[in-house]
Amino acid sequence: MPSDPTKLQKTKDIGIPSIAMCVARVPNSGRLIFGSSDFKLHEIDVFAEKPQPTPFGGEGHQSYVTGVVLPAPNVAVSGSYDGQLIWWDVEKREPTRKVKAHELWIRRLVISPDGKTIASVADDMQCKLWNAETGEMLRQFSDHKPITPHDFPSMLHAVAFSPDGKFLATGDKVGHVAIWEATSGSKVATVEAPGLYTWDPRQRRHSIGGIRALAFSPDSKWIAVGGIGQIGNIDHLDAPARIEIFDWQKGERKHELNNDKFKALVEDLVFDPSGKWLLSSGGAGDGFVTFTDVETGKPIHQDKLPMHVHQLALNESYDTVFAVGHHKIAVCEFKATEPPAASEPAKP
Amino acid sequence: MTLSRRGFLNAAALGTAGTFASDMTRLDLLRQTSWADEVKKQGKRVILLWLAGGASQFETFDPKPGRPTGGPYRAIPTSATGVHISELLPKMAARIQQTTAIIRSLNTKNADHGGGATIMETGRIKDPGIEYPDLGAICAKELGRLDSAVPDYVSMYTSTEGRRKGTSGFLGSRYAPMFLSESMQPENIRRLESISDIDHQDRLALRDLLAKKFTQNRHSDSLGSHTQAYQRVRGLMASEKLFDIEQESTEIRAKYGPTQFAQQCLIARRLVEAGVPFVKVARAWWDSHGENFETHRELCADLDHSMSVLLDDLRDRGLLEHTLILTFGEFGRTPNINASLGRDHFAAAWSATLSGCGVRGGACFGKTDEDGHKVADGEVGAGDLFATIFTALGIDPNKEYHVGARPVPLSDFGAKPIKDVLA
Amino acid sequence: MRFFCRINLVALWLLSIVVSLNGAELPSANLPIEQVIDQFVQQRLDTAKVAPSPQADDANVLRRLMLDVAGRIPTSEEAKTYAANRSAAKRVELVDRLLASPDFFWHQRNELERMLLPNKPNDGEFRKYLLWAVKENRSWDAMFRDMLVGDEADENRQPALTFIKSRARDLDDMLNDTAILFFGVNVTCAKCHDHPLTPDWKQHHYFGMASFFSRTYVTKKNLLAERPFGEVKFKSKRKDDTKGEQTAKFEFLTGAIVEEPVVERSADDIKKIEETIKASMQKDDAPPPEKPAFSPREKLVEVALRAEDNRFFARNIVNRVWDRFFGRGLVHPVDQLHAANAASHPELLDWLTRDMVAHGYDLKRLIRGIVLSQAYSRSSEWTAGSQFPDAALFAVANVKPLTPRQYSLSLLVAVNNPTQWPALDQAEPWTTRREQLENTSNGWAGSFEMPGESFHVAVDEALLFSNNKRIEDEFLRDSGDRLVGHLKSLGDNQAVIEAAVLTICSRPPRGDERAALDDFLQKRSADRLAAIRQLVWVLLTGPEMRFSY
Repeated sequence: MPSDPTKLQKTKDIGIPSIAMCVARVPNSGRLIFGSSDFKLHEIDVFAEKPQPTPFGGEGHQSYVTGVVLPAPNVAVSGSYDGQLIWWDVEKREPTRKVKAHELWIRRLVISPDGKTIASVADDMQCKLWNAETGEMLRQFSDHKPITPHDFPSMLHAVAFSPDGKFLATGDKVGHVAIWEATSGSKVATVEAPGLYTWDPRQRRHSIGGIRALAFSPDSKWIAVGGIGQIGNIDHLDAPARIEIFDWQKGERKHELNNDKFKALVEDLVFDPSGKWLLSSGGAGDGFVTFTDVETGKPIHQDKLPMHVHQLALNESYDTVFAVGHHKIAVCEFKATEPPAASEPAKP
Repeated sequence: MTLSRRGFLNAAALGTAGTFASDMTRLDLLRQTSWADEVKKQGKRVILLWLAGGASQFETFDPKPGRPTGGPYRAIPTSATGVHISELLPKMAARIQQTTAIIRSLNTKNADHGGGATIMETGRIKDPGIEYPDLGAICAKELGRLDSAVPDYVSMYTSTEGRRKGTSGFLGSRYAPMFLSESMQPENIRRLESISDIDHQDRLALRDLLAKKFTQNRHSDSLGSHTQAYQRVRGLMASEKLFDIEQESTEIRAKYGPTQFAQQCLIARRLVEAGVPFVKVARAWWDSHGENFETHRELCADLDHSMSVLLDDLRDRGLLEHTLILTFGEFGRTPNINASLGRDHFAAAWSATLSGCGVRGGACFGKTDEDGHKVADGEVGAGDLFATIFTALGIDPNKEYHVGARPVPLSDFGAKPIKDVLA
Repeated sequence: MRFFCRINLVALWLLSIVVSLNGAELPSANLPIEQVIDQFVQQRLDTAKVAPSPQADDANVLRRLMLDVAGRIPTSEEAKTYAANRSAAKRVELVDRLLASPDFFWHQRNELERMLLPNKPNDGEFRKYLLWAVKENRSWDAMFRDMLVGDEADENRQPALTFIKSRARDLDDMLNDTAILFFGVNVTCAKCHDHPLTPDWKQHHYFGMASFFSRTYVTKKNLLAERPFGEVKFKSKRKDDTKGEQTAKFEFLTGAIVEEPVVERSADDIKKIEETIKASMQKDDAPPPEKPAFSPREKLVEVALRAEDNRFFARNIVNRVWDRFFGRGLVHPVDQLHAANAASHPELLDWLTRDMVAHGYDLKRLIRGIVLSQAYSRSSEWTAGSQFPDAALFAVANVKPLTPRQYSLSLLVAVNNPTQWPALDQAEPWTTRREQLENTSNGWAGSFEMPGESFHVAVDEALLFSNNKRIEDEFLRDSGDRLVGHLKSLGDNQAVIEAAVLTICSRPPRGDERAALDDFLQKRSADRLAAIRQLVWVLLTGPEMRFSY
């Protein structure tokens, strides 16, 4: 069933006690596993009558959980500001393996399309690849300077696999993106998006921003980079949500999109498998979703969300988005035609 | 009516009759201080690291790891047993026991930048009837020398946001800060090339000669201050090099490193070494309404490094026991983490530190509740903090200035020094 | 704050009060102001057996008058003309000319601005209002009403509301500044407790005053508005207090209470009104809030001005004007107008207050009277050898630091080529010139500190004059339009000294001064221009230039 972004409507809005920083969805279900500011992973079935998050137990993380992936049925892997990766038995909700993965804060985890490799990025400016099954580190690489040009610690927030699994992109605070060949770990290209980094040398003398989201186009040829535009008053997230799209092989910037409707940080980017639209989401005081026409770079449809969104998960047919963020989880549908039973949640 | 000098002073102090007391505007600059007091204060210096915009106590000296309000950063042990601070300050953690006392129970009530800053600069609430001097001006007056050849209050604030010069209030412009904003060199301290040194000196001398004729039979404190200001010009010009870090060895400069704040800390050290009693270095701007954690990752790295190097450098030069280093700003930040992952203004339960001179290293005074919403133990206000600072410096916090007939104690009425953090 | 006022003011002031003449007849209302001033000031000098310092010489009087009335030093032409004038009435003529001149308008505006809006200098709109009001010779009570009640629809008067708007964020600022500036009363202490020594000020006075302002707010579109309801609650801090929380009445400082007509409102009405107010504070396009039937600020103005309660308003302005010209109030400090702080010359203050009210709050009239008095024109030198007299006697003129504006304007007048001023009888070009000076002085005025109580000149100022390039470029430039340019064209050193001293100090050089300056120039004959520059610098940086004396 094709999707239609203009039909976007919010169908669920669930309050949660903590800030959800990351999410992964159990395939073909409304079951979300999200990592949060209470240092825990939680599971929630958003299609349940009264959705309630259930925390995972055992000795878990020591800080905000900022990345979660599901490499196999019943397996979740999470990463946290505590530098650890933890493998979990989802049924039992208990840890099965812990790996001290990074020296500094892990900012994001992604999993390769074949589910075999997990990539983590952290503020030690390293990208590390892990065997999703054994927990063994496969390799690490970095093209990101630990110190910004203004002598402050830099940060490495974003990582993405290409849909064909061949490439991996990493993006840092100052707007530098490196593209890697996933199997060899060799750098194949770089892209610069300095417009996502605001350094204020005069008024407030620190910086804000950076690359917060990366996504490859379905054909893997383009890469979208998201964050926030140049901020005047860096005390606040007070600039247009900003996306740049590059043909990374040619080193050409195809689009530079400054959202005139939402002043916010882009926290996540998802391409439609057909390559027609790019979904972006994030927030400041509250949140937003924007569908952009990839060809023209013009917004197709956009709307407010009730909370600052930290990560998205989409369903298999790419017509339902599960957004997690500041004390809320929201579900939005954008189906092409109104399916007869869609308003009633499927009972397991 | 004639009064002996002694009698005159008594009359002034008691506010009874006499020509002096009838002049209500005059500031009493004639109070006697005992010899013992003078000795206690001798050679004492202050460096205030002003965390402008309001640094988060959670991400600095009062972490709440694992609490909903605690944020993502861990608490790490310090060299003082049982005292933990944020992992963003690893270098300072290694120096707490040796140098630094932490106060975690400040409640200063005003969470507005301007109002909060006024309170934390002067140690009391603004009073429309009177202009209070700030800490720098009081220290300049108490610790400096009237005829000092070096400046006695230097204030650096290079960022523009929330920039405040500082004020000497009723103490008068004599104690106003030498203010560095645009450049790290004070303004107008260097002779213009178009005039020779001899001419520069000669014209000042001629000016002084002619001025004497005018001031001879005229009575006015302001008039006297004008003469004095011109008499200090040459001395201050000679202190120009104090502001030049190129005068330092490459090794020292490398230790401080490249950030502007660190370099200003190095200037502060050069100044106190040369006898400047009060130096304020403002590090702006901590006002992290959005992205609190990223902001503090940057600014805490700057603070942690700069402050640690400064403390080490002062220690190596034998200056630390005479120099009090302070960190605070106008307020702290909210326990609540807002939707932009920021923290907002908060003055009800926050932290300050004192290091060096007169301070019991490793002391940790006061407690906030488990989520940091309220002070749970040992609540103190700005006045108490100021009384503590004065006591650490050997200045009597109850000493009074007189503004007209009003007695104004150095630290606010009812303020008490926090004994637990004093050596 | 709690113990601020513990020194016994009463005892202190009883000693300085001569004789209370309460109940005695005041001198005739028809006497010239200056005569009454001199009569009372002399009376007190006689009682204290103090001989005042002699009258200042003509050059000195001219300079003082110019600075006080025109806000600048005289040009050398003005100094020469005044010195040469042999008319017995020349001072009166000068004063009348100045009071009608654009110089006075601008200066009076500047002085009112620094009094009324000290923390928001150079507010274009407010200054425009003040200049308009001064040119109209608008009465002080009307200006008070313009500032407190105002009219958003009246083009001329509307900007006066900046007085309240700029303080509207903080109730304390509104009420304290109004009380201090218009009533000469500082009720700050009474916020926390009854004033310990000033029986006049109780806690309910503070909160009474607060209630007049508590409903005031500013909309998003910067319109001044008042809520139709709202109360101020307070609790006494006295240990023996049994009343608990009280609701403040609309109570003026005299104890007069304004009753608010009771209006019944349903909870729904209140909610609606609250919403309108909220919208007006948040949205640019919200309709302006309706003016409430009962306006506390309007009532405050009404009460303060009505005869039976005008114990503060008129006295305050008399005292403040006096303070401005004499460097000290008849009641001192000027914000302590209460029974326990008596005036140095109570009958004089009474007489001047009566005159102020009787003549429709005409500030110009009082200024004229003051500057024509002998008390005003005494020398500032005390050479009697005896102890320096009590300042409250006004036996010797005060040395007053110039305001940043006076200093900047005067410096600009001094460094201008003295032969290039428009003639004084040409009103048109002089007005243009004065406006130019005013604009040029903006840049300099920010470099100097506003004198307050116990003002000290900062070393920054001395460093600025010593080493700043702007001083050299703008004040010591030798181009034809500058003093240095003029001086270098003069043949001999004596002429240079004469012209420099006359232009900068408005008087001929003294003998010793002439010798020292001549010696200085002679020793530097190799570089005469540089020598002239230094000479000008020496005179510009002197105390004579920095102070009104």
